[in-house]
Amino acid sequence: MKALMSVAALIGVIGILLLTGMILDIVPSNTVRLVEGYMPMQVLFELTLFVAGFTGLSYMLGTMGMAFPRFWQGIAFWCFILLYLKFRVYPPIPFSVRAMYGTVSLIAVFMWVSANEEDWKKFKQPIMNILDAQSGANKLLRYAYLVLLPVLIGGFSYNAMVPKSEEPIELRTVHPAPPASTKVHGKTYTLQTSQNPYRVNLEGKFDQEYSNANIVEQGMGRLMKPNANPWDKDAKGYLKYVREGGEIFFQNCHFCHGDNLNGRGLHAFAFNPIPANFTDPGTIAQLQETFIFWRVAKGGIGLPNEGFPWASVMPPWEQHLTVDEIWKVILFEYWHTGYYPRTWD
Amino acid sequence: MGLVAGKKLFSIMALCAMIGLLLLPIAVSLPSLAMGADAPDAVKKDGDAKVEKGRDVYYKTEGIVVGAPAPKTVDGPRDYPRYNFESRVLLWFANQQHLYYGSFVLAVPIFCMVIEFMGVVTKDRVMGKRYDQLAYDFIKISLTAYSLTAILGGILIFTFLTLYPAFFGYLSSIFRPVMHIYALMFVAESGTLYIYYYGWDKMKEGFLKWIHLSMSVILNVIGTLLMFLANSWIGFMMSPAGVDEQGRYLGNIWHVIHTALWNPLNVHRILGNMAFGGGVVAAYAAYKFLASKTDEDRAHYDWMGYIAMALGVAFLIPLPFAGYWLMREVYAYRQQMGITLMGGLLAWLFIIQATMIGILFLSTNYYLWQALGRMRGAEKYQRYIKYLVFVLCCGYLVFITPHTIVMTPAELKAMGGQQHPVLGNYGVMSAKNGGINVIITTTILSFVWYMRGNKVSTVSWSKFGNIFMGTFFGCAYFNIIGLAVLGYYIPANVRVGLSVPQVATTLSCLFFMFALNSFMMKGAKQMGPIEWGKISARSQYALIMLATAFTWMMGLMGYIRSSVRLFWHVNEIMRDNSPWAYTHTVGFAANMISFNVLFFWISILFVFWLGSLGIKKAPVEAKAGVLGGAPQPAGGH
Repeated sequence: MKALMSVAALIGVIGILLLTGMILDIVPSNTVRLVEGYMPMQVLFELTLFVAGFTGLSYMLGTMGMAFPRFWQGIAFWCFILLYLKFRVYPPIPFSVRAMYGTVSLIAVFMWVSANEEDWKKFKQPIMNILDAQSGANKLLRYAYLVLLPVLIGGFSYNAMVPKSEEPIELRTVHPAPPASTKVHGKTYTLQTSQNPYRVNLEGKFDQEYSNANIVEQGMGRLMKPNANPWDKDAKGYLKYVREGGEIFFQNCHFCHGDNLNGRGLHAFAFNPIPANFTDPGTIAQLQETFIFWRVAKGGIGLPNEGFPWASVMPPWEQHLTVDEIWKVILFEYWHTGYYPRTWD
Repeated sequence: MGLVAGKKLFSIMALCAMIGLLLLPIAVSLPSLAMGADAPDAVKKDGDAKVEKGRDVYYKTEGIVVGAPAPKTVDGPRDYPRYNFESRVLLWFANQQHLYYGSFVLAVPIFCMVIEFMGVVTKDRVMGKRYDQLAYDFIKISLTAYSLTAILGGILIFTFLTLYPAFFGYLSSIFRPVMHIYALMFVAESGTLYIYYYGWDKMKEGFLKWIHLSMSVILNVIGTLLMFLANSWIGFMMSPAGVDEQGRYLGNIWHVIHTALWNPLNVHRILGNMAFGGGVVAAYAAYKFLASKTDEDRAHYDWMGYIAMALGVAFLIPLPFAGYWLMREVYAYRQQMGITLMGGLLAWLFIIQATMIGILFLSTNYYLWQALGRMRGAEKYQRYIKYLVFVLCCGYLVFITPHTIVMTPAELKAMGGQQHPVLGNYGVMSAKNGGINVIITTTILSFVWYMRGNKVSTVSWSKFGNIFMGTFFGCAYFNIIGLAVLGYYIPANVRVGLSVPQVATTLSCLFFMFALNSFMMKGAKQMGPIEWGKISARSQYALIMLATAFTWMMGLMGYIRSSVRLFWHVNEIMRDNSPWAYTHTVGFAANMISFNVLFFWISILFVFWLGSLGIKKAPVEAKAGVLGGAPQPAGGH
């Protein structure tokens, strides 16, 4: 048990030192990299390691007769979580989400320190000591708090109320709700039931499974499947249309959406917000192809009232592309990102 | 002897009367008697030349048009008479209060049925009497609330008639037979409730008690049917069926009732009502506990709070799954409705909803951990609580991560786009399914710890049993998280299906682990009695938090469900042309929900106070076992 706790304590110490080093810019922030594609699980795993580390550290200090008071354990753990979210995760997490996470962490700390009477007594002892003020030092502290707390709260209030020159928060709907049907080049398409006519197998028949089997692999490499190269001159059916879609994409779309389809094209940063990142699991991977068809065809200005508030400057591509070209470019986007369009069967 | 036979006869007659009351509306609703079914024949008699056929917007079947088209309303005093106030807000208030009370009075009789049943079957007679008394106290509270429900229902109808006459006229023209049956069911519910309540003392022993228990079953069947009928109206407004594109009724009342969303709504509302009812009663008990002046009262209300919480949570656990089914059906019915709800305009409300669901589970777990404190021997579990807190909060953090992040333009630029490589993955359904299942599985683990808190298993295979349980929970977590990760790599239709094995894993933990634990704890050595009343005040605040969160979440979900129709009274059939056809801001909706919650709690405190004026004192022998004797409540004890 002791050996296990020693290892855990070591992990805890190393973790704290690394994080402190990163915050103070002594240790390069990419010493332990967050790996793209694995970040979400990596963050949870790191936090688990830290909790194990702190447990070990607390245990070891206790056995050495240097037990860290429960009150300060709680405060320190909460501060650690706030610092971790602020300095460890990159790109930076917006304040609104950090505030949510910080609140949940605070609740977690409260639940931990008050889970049983003994712990709760230990936790609130320093607070009670100051309130009771039996010693001179505690009396002094009580007066200090009497002054500092209102000043601190006043400061927060002032900071919240003072007029700021920064741009206001602009809320928008990322996925505007589509209509039941859309009319493009004189033909009406029902979004719930329409299909991409180019998602076909070698016999030219609609085949979702065939096309799903020939998309690139997900992850960092985005490798093509064996014998599924759209740029092979002999490619037929689905793969041939993917190539045609790719050509259309690089002629029209990649300037904004980027050649990696990650929303970082040449012109991307002229817009606010920047164009959609198709490689993110929250964009096309969540949607039906018909939804993309509608969005591409109608662009930003064609969004209905249901989609409000929206912010999109995408042109209505129906004015520049044929229906077939739109379907093909959508085919390419799914192929390239390795995502499957949403289906309902 | 003659007196007993007379009582039996009276009881059987009362039961027959209840069954008669239940069957009466059903008989009335037979096709030959229902007005809606008569109509096509009447049309036929006028000659086939006049028959006009229409196509059902949902079932796609052809039917004879027997109703008028949905009115095309215009903004003005004819279609939208008003005070100098937003009519929609008045309606919202009346509707929400009616729903709160309606849910409460439908849920409490189900509790009474369960508790009364427990009282009948338990071998400990003192305990049996306590259960019986508890059920009686519940129904007494419910009786006062029942009157208020009816009054609020009246207010709601008057609000509809006076502020939305065109819409209500159309709805009642479609649901005419259903509304009459509803009224008759309400009469049946009232009659049954009064017979059940006033017959309590007369039917408290032996065979008569079983008759009385049967009455509670009938009472609940009527209550549930009543709710199903009311659900058909909102189901029709969201996903109309049985009418053509112009909204003309096609003569098939079953199509109008059985819309795409009716069944998911029914299931979701039953579970929701039960969880809500449990929360309200638990909060009542918590309040009484905190106000108690004697150990005896504290012990009683501690026990009452525990029972109510356990019943409420029993229905809370499957509630997210029912909600998931409802959302799946919404998506299947209209994609744009689903996207408006979960990815579009109302997405942030869903994040608030996730936050509230998380609070419900956190409060439940916290209560259970505090409850370990009143058992001797439970210390061995208390030291591990911090790990449960961590697992629970990790699941919670993932569950509440928004897909649409609120951020300043500066933050947006710093992030380099709308999508965050970490948060973006937490913000989608695959992660959220994993998050909520982790939360529920942890709650089940807390329950298992609670159930064995003061016991040591004496079965010969206890070591193996403990290892098996630990492994089972470990595998469950692994499976849930693994499937959540896998969800990113597979097609969406398969991903949606992954929720089934995730839910199955969670429910396996619930059923198998509870069952195994019960076997292991059979004849277990007790480390000491459960010291009812010796629980921290914090636990009672957790119960109050639980109830408040339930109430707030009900208000929120009702608002979301209603708002998803956007500018339609009846989706795609009857347009809302009032000046209030827009969607409220999140802030306004939150304030309105908070006001409704506050009003409900103030009014229900009044109801509780009224109920307490005539609370029947518990029989002496029933109270004898309150202290020391350690009554063993539900949930494995």
